[in-house]
Amino acid sequence: MNIHTIPQRTPAETALIDAFSDRLSLLPGDGKVMLKRDDAIEAIKSGLPTRRIESWHYTDLRRLLTSVPDFDPAAAPKAIAPVVEGSAVLPVLNGVSSAKLPDIEGIAVQRLSEKLTDGSIAPGLDPYGADDAIGALNTAFVADGYFVDIADGTELDKPIELQNLQSGGQTHVRLGVRVGAGAKAVIVERQTGEGAALVSSVSQLLLDEGADVTWLIVQEQPDTATHLAQFKAHLGKDSKLTLFVMNAGGKLVRQEIVVKTTGEGADFTLRGINLLAGDTHTDVTMVLDHTVPHTASTEVIRNVVTGRARGVFQGRINVHQYAQKTNAKMACNTLLLSDDGEFSTKPELEIFADDVVCGHGATVTEIDHDHLFYLMARGIDEKTARGFLVKAFVAEVIEELDDEAIVEALEARLDDWFVAHG
Amino acid sequence: MPAVQDTIDRVRKIDVDQYKYGFQTEIAMDKAPKGLSEDIIRFISAKKDEPSWMLEWRLGAYRRWVTLDEPKWARVHYPKIDFQDLHYYAAPKSTPGPTSLSDVDPELLRVYEKLGIPLKEQEILAGVQKTDVSEFEEASDNVYKSGRVAVDAVFDSVSVVTTFKKELAQAGVIFCSISEAIREHPELVKKYLGSVVPTSDNFYATLNSAVFTDGSFVFVPKGVRCPMELSTYFRMNEKNTGQFERTLIIAEEGAYVSYLEGCTAPQRDENQLHAAVVELIALDDAEIKYSTVQNWYPGDAEGKGGIYNFVTKRGDCRGDRSKISWTQVETGSAITWKYPSCILRGDDSSGEFYSIAVSNGYQQVDSGTKMIHLGKNTSSRIISKGIAAGFSQNTYRGQVSAHRKATNARNFTNCDSLLIGDQCGAHTVPYMEAKNATAQFEHEATTSKISEDQKFYVMQRGIPEEEAIALIVNGFVKDVIQQLPMEFAVEAQKLIGISLEGSVG
Repeated sequence: MNIHTIPQRTPAETALIDAFSDRLSLLPGDGKVMLKRDDAIEAIKSGLPTRRIESWHYTDLRRLLTSVPDFDPAAAPKAIAPVVEGSAVLPVLNGVSSAKLPDIEGIAVQRLSEKLTDGSIAPGLDPYGADDAIGALNTAFVADGYFVDIADGTELDKPIELQNLQSGGQTHVRLGVRVGAGAKAVIVERQTGEGAALVSSVSQLLLDEGADVTWLIVQEQPDTATHLAQFKAHLGKDSKLTLFVMNAGGKLVRQEIVVKTTGEGADFTLRGINLLAGDTHTDVTMVLDHTVPHTASTEVIRNVVTGRARGVFQGRINVHQYAQKTNAKMACNTLLLSDDGEFSTKPELEIFADDVVCGHGATVTEIDHDHLFYLMARGIDEKTARGFLVKAFVAEVIEELDDEAIVEALEARLDDWFVAHG
Repeated sequence: MPAVQDTIDRVRKIDVDQYKYGFQTEIAMDKAPKGLSEDIIRFISAKKDEPSWMLEWRLGAYRRWVTLDEPKWARVHYPKIDFQDLHYYAAPKSTPGPTSLSDVDPELLRVYEKLGIPLKEQEILAGVQKTDVSEFEEASDNVYKSGRVAVDAVFDSVSVVTTFKKELAQAGVIFCSISEAIREHPELVKKYLGSVVPTSDNFYATLNSAVFTDGSFVFVPKGVRCPMELSTYFRMNEKNTGQFERTLIIAEEGAYVSYLEGCTAPQRDENQLHAAVVELIALDDAEIKYSTVQNWYPGDAEGKGGIYNFVTKRGDCRGDRSKISWTQVETGSAITWKYPSCILRGDDSSGEFYSIAVSNGYQQVDSGTKMIHLGKNTSSRIISKGIAAGFSQNTYRGQVSAHRKATNARNFTNCDSLLIGDQCGAHTVPYMEAKNATAQFEHEATTSKISEDQKFYVMQRGIPEEEAIALIVNGFVKDVIQQLPMEFAVEAQKLIGISLEGSVG
């Protein structure tokens, strides 16, 4: 287990390091940004994380990332319709922010390339820990994305959809959103494409006092793509964030969620569904820090594992010493439907405050035979009955979102997945 | 309890110095020089009069150990241990080989008397009854007579005495020190030693394999229900020594044995190392119940001194329908690093883990279990209760895994933590790995303070606050206490009382 070893660089590590020297002249950024990029590539040079790094225990990136495609300037992903009709769409195509910047009252949109060039994004490029490989990879290579500023008191009636579309090649995108005091918004983060791409995407969200945001991550990468994503949020006083994550694709997927409550009265809700099929390896890792008193969080993750898929959920709730009266609940339920599927879960609680109520639950099981019998006794054939039960298991999480348009749109994505994967 | 200012104050004042087994004894000791090398291992092996295969086994482990690094993943912090600054062997001079009670140094006997451990066979541990030896002789065919406990007393590196050997032998049970087993029953030791925890297992287990000095050996033959509780009492006395004991328990087909270990050490300012290995083997239909009441010296109120308790305990349900149950009450040690585990290899086998870990002062506990489901229809159950007070850190770390062929594996895990005071921490780190669709795993964990509602309910019935809290805490740990053999449940309950004294009354 702990014998001294001197690792040799893997082909993927070498490819990333080489790509960095090739791309360096093309990467935007002022002196501060370029220094952060240097630090980041140094982190990659010291090796991608292995299972010996606790936070990567179930996703040995060094072993799983077998190849890295070259950047492909000719890649031309097709534009797609937004999840919710009428949304303001901000697409990133092959790593380039291509949209004509929209003119909506209360919203200021900037291309991230500009913020890299003038260095104003530099403080946000720091990794959040020594094991933040996705942050390092993204910081080293990020060239574009969007920065959206929603002014205080703005209430958006239509969602903003941030699309990251890629067909083959490599892309590294950063999406930043600040939501002003008392503002209200729905933001959709769409991650999809074609071909065997390597995608890294980092989203950063800042909620000011009393802001209320629903953020949906819809990840439907092709089963050849590697998708390494991170969602980071700071929740100010009395702000509310509902994060919904749907993973329904990708060959190697890691979605990190890093949330910190920084103001009293902040409320965080996470709902996730992971639909795993084929040979996918999908990892959702959450680190939630309750740093101030009187904050609440609930997380519910539902997983369906079919084929030879491997799923991972790691969730760590840190309750800091001064975060009294924290109320935190986490549940991770998994339906393991195939003999070759695997699911590993590690729900952690780290608690330093005494006046808190924290709990977590985790289950892994197959379909309840009683439920199946109930339906079949009513003349429904086994396959259909199983379909009902599996769908009900995940749809329950979607239905909790109270916006009807969003619920319908997500259920449509769900149906697509069930059609494609039986 | 945050709700009660009075209690918080009491917790702050809590005194780990109230450790009542902290006395030390002046006994002429025979020690190995400090340090660890192949020569020291040869010295230990020679002292123990071991056959050459045993020496080779030790040396193999040592050669592997020098290539290993200390594990760092546990949530415990301590200064680096200088493994060359320890005595790896210390034995009371007067006992070259314990044969009978009359040969034992009376000073040693007094130590155990002070600890409340009966080495005279006519005495009963919990002080329930006194019987003459002669009566025992007559009653020896009444093998199920309850209330008797056979004790193996280990003092630093050697076993000083083992009681009730004769009576156990009549039932076919072998209960002796491991050194004696290596000499008298080499075929059994050779077959089973290291078969559950191999010499290459982990840093401390490998170290133990190289230098272990004594421990207990239990062999319960086919179909025998061990006529009494077996128990080992470990006492670390000498300064700057490490205690490395090795326990091996084998229950053959259909056998049953219940075993308990207890441990204490004197109060010293230096930290002392305790790195034990326990291996349990249950064959078809066998059942082993292993209980621990761990009360090593926890260090003083400033966190100075105390035992580093780095222990590898693992049970192998090798046979079908076998069962291994671990019960532990952890109140002592400056640092605990311990994960009693079950390998559920046989079909229909089951494993259980019941734990109460109470930490106070500056204690650090990182403990839990592993349930590895390999056979079909295996089941496991984990109940862990952690109580953290003072400046302590209390971590539950557990793993449940079902392998590809482990159809119908079941697990239920419940770990609850209770925090008393706002300077302590309680952490839960469970790992669940399911590789089989028919596996059913459930895990639940909660962390909280005592709820106002519960307290109100009890107090409303006229019970004073401190008593009410004590009652609730006792209820909190009841699930685990129930699993202890009756004689020790009383002791365990008392221990929890001591550890929380001043905080819950």
